[in-house]
Amino acid sequence: MGYVAVKGGTKAIEASKKRLKYERLKDGEIIEIKTILSSMKALVDQVMSEASFYSPFLAALAIKQAEGSMEEAVFLMRAHRSTLPRLYYSQTVETESMFVKRRISASFKDIPGGQMLGATYDYTHRLLDFELAKENTVDNHQWLQAYKQELQDVSREDDIQYFPKVVDYLREEGLFEEYEDDNTSPMDITKESIQFPTPRSARLQTLTRGQTGAVTSLGYASLRGYGQVHPTVGEVRVGDLPIYVDHPTENNENAEDNDFYIGEITVSEVESFVPVSIKNDRHDEELEFEIGYGVCYGQNETKAIAMSILDQCLEHPEFDFPTHSEEFVLLHIDSVESTGFISHLKLPHYVTFQSKLDSIRQVKKGATSNES
Amino acid sequence: MNRRRRTKILIDGDWCLAKGMADEVTQRYNCQNIIAPRQGLTMVRMRESAKKSLFYIGEVLVTEAKVELNQCIGIGIVVGIHEEMARQLAVIDAAYKAELPETKKWEDRLLKAEQLIKKEKSKQQTELFETTVNFETMDV
Repeated sequence: MGYVAVKGGTKAIEASKKRLKYERLKDGEIIEIKTILSSMKALVDQVMSEASFYSPFLAALAIKQAEGSMEEAVFLMRAHRSTLPRLYYSQTVETESMFVKRRISASFKDIPGGQMLGATYDYTHRLLDFELAKENTVDNHQWLQAYKQELQDVSREDDIQYFPKVVDYLREEGLFEEYEDDNTSPMDITKESIQFPTPRSARLQTLTRGQTGAVTSLGYASLRGYGQVHPTVGEVRVGDLPIYVDHPTENNENAEDNDFYIGEITVSEVESFVPVSIKNDRHDEELEFEIGYGVCYGQNETKAIAMSILDQCLEHPEFDFPTHSEEFVLLHIDSVESTGFISHLKLPHYVTFQSKLDSIRQVKKGATSNES
Repeated sequence: MNRRRRTKILIDGDWCLAKGMADEVTQRYNCQNIIAPRQGLTMVRMRESAKKSLFYIGEVLVTEAKVELNQCIGIGIVVGIHEEMARQLAVIDAAYKAELPETKKWEDRLLKAEQLIKKEKSKQQTELFETTVNFETMDV
């Protein structure tokens, strides 16, 4: 049999697209973008993080269009992002300026400013709440009124508090190494392909836009023994960060006077404390702590913690562990790349497969004639 | 008032304030669009706290507009899809650059709006403090 190169299918593809729309519409229900925005925040956050593109509205639209498929929604966001011009670069964002909505530490009971739980599923019973199946707006409104009433009695502070980092106190005590601000221009992996070994900026950018499941799985693998990092979480913080950009033409000598505040983004940030053995001046083994860093768009603490583990793994390459190999980790965690490559396998490969079949037939034929 | 503080008040506060100020200008002066409101990206540069180096966390969708007023160019930038707001911010920015007399009268309104924002934020924070853990050490 010869090769079977084919063309055609246009009509079938059009019919398939119509079928897709039919499947989405057939039950007569419409989910509004505002409903997704207010009731599926975690999903919206995850899409923005994996798309590396912060826009809750567009993420909600992508979720609607993709009918809840994460990989499709992230692909749509990445594709849309590629149609837009990059107009500005922000000034450096420092997370000390975060308006904190949640901040906890697994390392210290007493942290300056206290442990603020904020809104979290951490302490909820993982039992299905069947009451939600018959939820109605009247009851919800009443609950909200009662909750606001409860908060009326809370005594007010006049000033807004910004929380220092837990690690800063440990640095002051000399327990963690102090670093000067490193203002080396970061690499941008959307402009340059990564080369190995990568600079730290490329690693962090790749990790923060990694697929949540992939980043979490590899972080978990490291904890289970396929890596050498088992940290204690020093601080998890979730909150809003202000973004400022410089004026494009004015003299920016007094940058703070002339820059633009453009709004806020919500992020989750994690500092993990990792014990490492080092040799001191007398060549004795000594225990020291290093910090693994994780951050991502929205509230997605598991991803940020896993990122902090992988950050530390990649800081210390180990030949024996895949989670310490930057090539292994960084080239396999991107949602669009991994889902795209896997799903392309279902697209027509008629020519290549027929070619392989031909080869096998030839081999078998050769074997048969040799036997005879 | 510097641009940083002004834009923070206008964006974080009630957007009616920006609309009112921009309307005052456009009713009296000729404001030409240089760049009509358009969507674009701002790449966010962050400093990580482990080694204090810089990296890019990702891009943010913004709306940008540019206008000209009395030969002065004003720029408006805001996170999200907000075409009217971007243009209003651009008009206000141009008004300050052109040193229009109206801008002197805006100071009080801006300061009052700033107080309201602070009050609202501190209220929000106080409510969040209700979730702060009060540890009790147990006798073992």
